[in-house]
Amino acid sequence: MQTETFDRSTMRVRDFWTSIVLLAVSLFFLWRTSLLPFFKADAAGVESGRWYNSAALIPYGIFGCLLVLSFVLLVIALRDGAAARALASAGRIADHGEARRVVCLSVMLIAYICALVPRVDFTVSSALLIVALIWGFHENRGRAMLLATGLIALPACYALIANFEQASWTKPHDDDWVALATLLVMIAAMLRETAGRPDVRRVMRITPVVAILVPAFLTIAMAFGFRQNVPNRSGLLFSAIEYHYYVSLKPLFRGK
Amino acid sequence: MDFVLSQLSAFVGSLHALTTDPVTYVYLVCSVFLGIVFGALPGLTATLAVTILTGFFGNKFPLDQSLIALIGAYVGAIYGGSYPSILLNIPGTAASAATAMDGYPLARAGRGGEALGITTTASFLGTLFGTFCLLIFVWLLLLVSRNIASPEKALLALFGILLSGTLMSQDLVIKGWIAGLVGLAMAMVGLDPILSEERFTFGWSYLLSGFQIVPVLMGAFAVPQILEGMRPAAIRRFTGTIGRIVPRIGEVIRRGPGILRSGAIGTGIGALPGVGEDVAGWVSYGVAKSVSSDGDQFGKGSINGLIAAETANNAAIGGALIPLLVLGIPGSPPAAALLGALKINNVIPGPTIDPGLIVHIVAILVLASVTMFLMGLFTARIFVLVLRLPQTVFLPVVMVLTTIGSFSVGGGINDLFLMLGVGFVAFAMSIMKYPIAPLVIGVILGGLFDETLRRTLLISDGDLSVFLTRPGAAILLTLNLLLILSQVPGAKRVFRKVTGRRAIDEG
Repeated sequence: MQTETFDRSTMRVRDFWTSIVLLAVSLFFLWRTSLLPFFKADAAGVESGRWYNSAALIPYGIFGCLLVLSFVLLVIALRDGAAARALASAGRIADHGEARRVVCLSVMLIAYICALVPRVDFTVSSALLIVALIWGFHENRGRAMLLATGLIALPACYALIANFEQASWTKPHDDDWVALATLLVMIAAMLRETAGRPDVRRVMRITPVVAILVPAFLTIAMAFGFRQNVPNRSGLLFSAIEYHYYVSLKPLFRGK
Repeated sequence: MDFVLSQLSAFVGSLHALTTDPVTYVYLVCSVFLGIVFGALPGLTATLAVTILTGFFGNKFPLDQSLIALIGAYVGAIYGGSYPSILLNIPGTAASAATAMDGYPLARAGRGGEALGITTTASFLGTLFGTFCLLIFVWLLLLVSRNIASPEKALLALFGILLSGTLMSQDLVIKGWIAGLVGLAMAMVGLDPILSEERFTFGWSYLLSGFQIVPVLMGAFAVPQILEGMRPAAIRRFTGTIGRIVPRIGEVIRRGPGILRSGAIGTGIGALPGVGEDVAGWVSYGVAKSVSSDGDQFGKGSINGLIAAETANNAAIGGALIPLLVLGIPGSPPAAALLGALKINNVIPGPTIDPGLIVHIVAILVLASVTMFLMGLFTARIFVLVLRLPQTVFLPVVMVLTTIGSFSVGGGINDLFLMLGVGFVAFAMSIMKYPIAPLVIGVILGGLFDETLRRTLLISDGDLSVFLTRPGAAILLTLNLLLILSQVPGAKRVFRKVTGRRAIDEG
C-alpha cells in the first residue's frame, strides 16, 4: 500500500512536469497551425477555402483538445500537491544508476542510428553495437557501461566529423576501418576484463560470434534472399560480399 | 444457410490451394516458430514480431507469402507468451499475463506439462473459434459497411482511438486520450489529403509524405523495449518436471462450454477497435471466475482459469481482423502492424476489399493455428530451452533486426531517424504510464479521420447536422460522447445518483 502511495505521488510529480511540457507543445503547434489558411484561402488564384475544408481544421481540434487535457492533467497533479514536491526536488535525480543506464543506452542508439549506420558498413557497425550493449549491460557495472559507451561513441564521432555531408555517406572511406579497429579493441577489452569470471565468461565468449554472424547473415539474407535494400552497400564488408556474389558465386551457380 | 455453405466452399478452395503449395509449409513452420520464440522471450511482443517481419517481407514478396509469414508470427507469438507465464511466472507478452495466474501454480505443483498441453489446445481452439467468427461476421459487417460513408468512418476512427485510450490506460484515462491525440497529431504531418496543404514539415522534404507506419511501429514498440529491457536480470530457469504435454481428449471435451464462452468473449473484445488480446484475456478470466463452479480455486492452479485466459487471447486474433478487414480499423496493436503490411502491399482494407483475400486470410489463420498446435504439443521442450536466453543478449539482436527492417521498407536512413525519435518519445511516455497502443492507433487512423471528417463537411457545406441526421453517425456520435462523459467526474456522479435512486425505487 505504501509503495502504491509512493508510486502515485511520484507519478503525479512526473505528471506535473509532463503537463507543462504538453501545454507548451500544444501552444506551439496551435501557433504553427495558425500559419495555415483557415477562414479564407486562395488556391491557384481562386478563392476556394472555407473553414470546414481547411487543412488547419483537424490540427486546431487536436491541439485544442491536447491543451485542454494537459490543463486537466495539471489540475490533477496540483490537487495532489505535486507542485510543491516537484519544485522541492527540482534538479535532483532520484536514481543516478538508472539515469546513467538510460543516458548510456541513448548515446549508444544515437551513435548507431545517426552516425554509424548511414556511414559505416552495416555488419561492422551492428557488431559494434551488439558487443557494446552486451558488455555494457549484461551486468550492472558502471565501468563497463561507460567504457562500452565511449568505445561506440569514438568511431561514431569520427564518422560524423569526417563524413558529415549526406553526399559522402555511401562512398567507401576510412571510417569503416576505424570502426573495425574499435570493434576489435572492444572485444579484446571485454574478454580481458571478464577473463577470470566464470559466471559471465560463457556469455562474453559467445558475444563476438553473435555480434558478427547475426548482422552478416541478416544483410546477406536481406540483400540476396529477401531482395530488400540494405544500408551502406559500399561498406567495407558488404561491398566485398556483393562483389563475390555477382562475380564469383552467381556464375558458378549458373555453371559458367 | 446457403450463405454459410458458399462461404465454407470458398474457404475449402482457398485451403486446398494453400495446402498443395509446398512453399506454404516452409513459411508457416518458420513464421510460427519465430512467433512462438518472440512470444516466449519476455520483452518481445506479438506486435514486434509482426512489425519486424513486415520490414523483411515489405512489398517485394507476393502478398500470399507475406500474409502467411505475418499471420503465422501473430498466432505463434500470442500463444508463445504462455511459456514463461506458466513455467516462470513472467508473462512473455501482455496477452498472456492472465495465464500466469493459474499456469504458474500448476507448474509449481508438478503439472507444467498438463498446463502447457491445455494451453496449447485452448489457444488452438480459441484461434479456430475467432477464425470461424471472422469468416461469418466479416460478410455481415461488409454488407452493413456498404452504408458506411465518410461521417460514420470519421466517428468510428475517433471511437477506436478513444476506446483504445480508455481501456489501455494503466493510470489516468486522460493519459490514454493524450497518447491518442499525440498519435493523431503525428498523422497530421505532411501534405493534407484534401488540399495538399503542407503541414508541420518544417521544410524537411522527407516529411511531405507524412510519418511512415513501419518505422513508427518499430520505434513505438521496439526502442522502448530495448531501453527498458537492457538491464541485468536474474535468469530464472524452470527446474521442475514438465511431464506429459498432450492433453486427454475427454478432458478437452469436458471443458467445451468454457472454451466456447471464452472464445466468444475473446472474439468480441478483439473486434473492438484498438483493444488487444491482453484485455480479452483478463475479461474472459474475470467472467470465468464469476461463473465457474470452481471460481474460488482461480489463482491457485485452476485449469478453467487457464483455459479462459488462453482461449480468449487467441480468439481475439480473429476478432481483431474483423474491423481491420471491414473498415480498415485495426482491432489490436498487432493487427495495426498487419494493416501497415497490407498498405505497403497496396491492399486497402474496407468495403472495397477483394472478398477472395478475406477467405484466403481465414485459410491462413486455420493453417497457422494447426501449425501452432502441432508445434506446441510436440516441440514444446525446444521452446522451454529458449527461455534460458538472457534478454541482454537477444535485445541487441532485436535492435539490429529492427534497424534493417525499418530501413528496407521505404525511406532509407530518414526512416531510421524517425524510428529513433518515435522510440524515445514512446519510452518517455511509457515511463509516465501513457499507453503506447492509442498512439499507434492514432497515427494509423489519423489520416482516415482527417480525410473523412473534412470530406463530410465539404459535402454538407459545413452543416454539422449531418452527424445527427444519419442514423449510423448519430449512434456513433452518441457512443463517442458517452465514452467521454463516462470519464468526467461530474457526469459519473450524476450517473451514480440516477442508478442509485433507481436501485432504491426497485428495492
